[in-house]
Amino acid sequence: MNNWVRENLWRHVLAIAVCLFSLFPLYLVVLSSLSTNGSLHLTSFVPTEFSLKNFRFLFNSPKIPFTHWVQNSLVIASTVAICSVVIGAASAFAFSRLRFKGKKFGIQLLLLVQMFPAILALSAVYVIMERVYRFAPQIGLGSQAGLVLVYLGGSMGVNIWLLKGFVDSIPAELDEAAKIDGASAVQTYWLIFVPLAAPVLAVVSLLSFIGTFNEFILARLFLVQMDGRTVAVGLQQFIGGQYSQNWGPFAAGSILASIPIVVIFLSLQKYIVNGLTAGSVKG
Amino acid sequence: MSGLIRGNFAFMGKVALLAIVTAMLALLTEHAFVQKEYAIGSFLLFAILALNFTYLTKFSIPLKFFVPGILFFIAFVIAPIIFTLSMSTYHYQTGNILGKGEATQQVVTLGAEPDENGTTFDINVGETPSGDFAILVSDIANNKFFISTKDTRTEVPASGVTLDENGVATAAPGFTLISAEMLSKSDDYSRIHYKYQDKFYIGIEGQNVGAVFQQSLTYDKAAGVIKNVVTGDTYKDNGRGNWAKVGAPDEMLTPGWRAPIWFENYTKLVSDEKVRTPLIKVFIWTVVFAGMSVLTTFALGLLLAMALNRKIRGRRIYRSILILPYAMPSVMSILIWAGMFDTEFGAINNLLHTHIAWFTDANFARGAVLLVNLWLGFPYFYLICSGSLQAIPTELQEAAAIDGANPRQIFRKITLPLLLQILSPLLIASFAFNFNNFNLIYLLTGGGPRETLDGQIAGATDILISYTYQIAFGNNTQDFGLASAISVLIFVLVASISLYGLKKSKVMETFG
Repeated sequence: MNNWVRENLWRHVLAIAVCLFSLFPLYLVVLSSLSTNGSLHLTSFVPTEFSLKNFRFLFNSPKIPFTHWVQNSLVIASTVAICSVVIGAASAFAFSRLRFKGKKFGIQLLLLVQMFPAILALSAVYVIMERVYRFAPQIGLGSQAGLVLVYLGGSMGVNIWLLKGFVDSIPAELDEAAKIDGASAVQTYWLIFVPLAAPVLAVVSLLSFIGTFNEFILARLFLVQMDGRTVAVGLQQFIGGQYSQNWGPFAAGSILASIPIVVIFLSLQKYIVNGLTAGSVKG
Repeated sequence: MSGLIRGNFAFMGKVALLAIVTAMLALLTEHAFVQKEYAIGSFLLFAILALNFTYLTKFSIPLKFFVPGILFFIAFVIAPIIFTLSMSTYHYQTGNILGKGEATQQVVTLGAEPDENGTTFDINVGETPSGDFAILVSDIANNKFFISTKDTRTEVPASGVTLDENGVATAAPGFTLISAEMLSKSDDYSRIHYKYQDKFYIGIEGQNVGAVFQQSLTYDKAAGVIKNVVTGDTYKDNGRGNWAKVGAPDEMLTPGWRAPIWFENYTKLVSDEKVRTPLIKVFIWTVVFAGMSVLTTFALGLLLAMALNRKIRGRRIYRSILILPYAMPSVMSILIWAGMFDTEFGAINNLLHTHIAWFTDANFARGAVLLVNLWLGFPYFYLICSGSLQAIPTELQEAAAIDGANPRQIFRKITLPLLLQILSPLLIASFAFNFNNFNLIYLLTGGGPRETLDGQIAGATDILISYTYQIAFGNNTQDFGLASAISVLIFVLVASISLYGLKKSKVMETFG
């Protein structure tokens, strides 16, 4: 017993303390989303009331088009998730499996550029898209399509790099066999590689979904119309620093917006941890 | 299945898709050239050629895989980088945003002077039967009325107008009043020069007030100067994007245009006191912030990983709870924390029974930023350290234990050095990430409090990237040129850090 205490007690004490630290904000948000007084005062650690008023407010108030925001976030993030993998996988496959002139240079360039934080070029992207707006408002500044294009392009480097890492880990025997049987590169890609890599592609596209869902600043600059905002921008603008007034609905909204991401993340835990050690950081 | 990849069906599908994309791009190209966006137009043209050439010929198989990716890459990664570089050599800020031609045109349009008496009239805005904007002018002193459009002026006899209680005409034949509500939707009508007489015209001054102006500025294209025909002044291109008065270079006409000033934005970083001082302070905090963030998150993560590196009861539950902060969308978590630090209502003051104004005191704000970043970041290092701890061969530790080393010695002399060696690339990557952790600063403190630094653009918790954002998109003068120069500086810094990290991780060696 004494031995157990010396060996394990500190582990439990530390783990419990940090768990409390982790849970505290989350618990607080759940608590205030269910309370009616709408403040973020910590009156008691035990829930004293259980009201869905804040949730109802989100869906019924004309002040905040919450359902629109969620819809926008889902549409934008899904489009980016799918397109980025469709485009990125082909490049990753070529980098990983094909031989061609300039491959080494290509990979080094990719490596260098994928380190360039997209946010650094923010003003450039802004000015460019402002000019695009002048001749094609549908895909220029202020449009969701334009935002999707910027996301797709901006994440291209990181995505190809990430996909290449995953593709490298898929054994090449099968596509080599296909090649010996006379399949062209394009055939190998569609008939052998894509079915084989489908789970990996799905994982990368879900990661890209999370990253896009979480993106804030481009969405903030691009989407100025109330109805067109993403959920992150919408909620941030909604509280606008006035935490005391809007905290209840904000808490409810942030819980609803977080649930899909937390679920995806937890179910992909294994892959994400593997990806982490490969040097990728969740966006 | 292979029929989908080979044969006529696949070929037709490919051609159809290519045709649709080409058509869309061609349409955009045309619009771009019409609007004189030559750079964008040329890129679109290049994209069309590249796509068709690649997919319709057998020139290169790898290119078929790369082309879409490369095009996106050029458009949204390479082009913005080059654009940032070029913007950093321009005088490009609020008041100097337009091209030279457009700015000159606006200067001339704005170059109007009121007539000698400063004549004003009561007016009402409406439209003519043909749908043009028109004003119904009431010259009450002379009991004269007329309808005026861009090109015409029609007298209306006093008997033909309807007057309101102030004697202002509100209706006349050939004139339909537009309601104030409709007018508020667009201010197009207010920019029109309504005809008066000779060189004079009526401009809209305010609601229901028109004033008589004459065009004073004219652009002499041949001489490259703007002349004021009323005062006789001449304005010359000052080489920095403005028309400046000859003899009084500080008197400039607005708006200006974006003009190349080469390295001035860069020299400003060093020589301009107002830029240099905040920049240095922000830079120091950026390094401290990134360094402390890596240190604290790594320390807590490692500690947890070691504590849970053996099968104790409840380990799975602990693990699930510990990664929750990492699973949450960080934007939401940061906003939640920002609310918790609220002085009046925040849970932190509540819990501690204090009344600290967290975000108005520089040190408290910095502490809060680090605490929140610890919360956000420790699960990452916990996950990584747990994995790495298991990768360290236990033989070494066992050997040390046999040699009589105590657990602390084993940790300090064996486990930690090995871990640091394995994880150093990730630690460096994490430093680089935090160096540009814009969301955290922007959403938590907004860079504030601002009083302690220059009081305007830079704040006590601003890191370089959020400072740059303030310069480019803040409420003060928006200076894209200076912001781009700082962006380039940050890129050089971050790239060196990351390359150093990559060298350590030996990724480069794999490719020679």
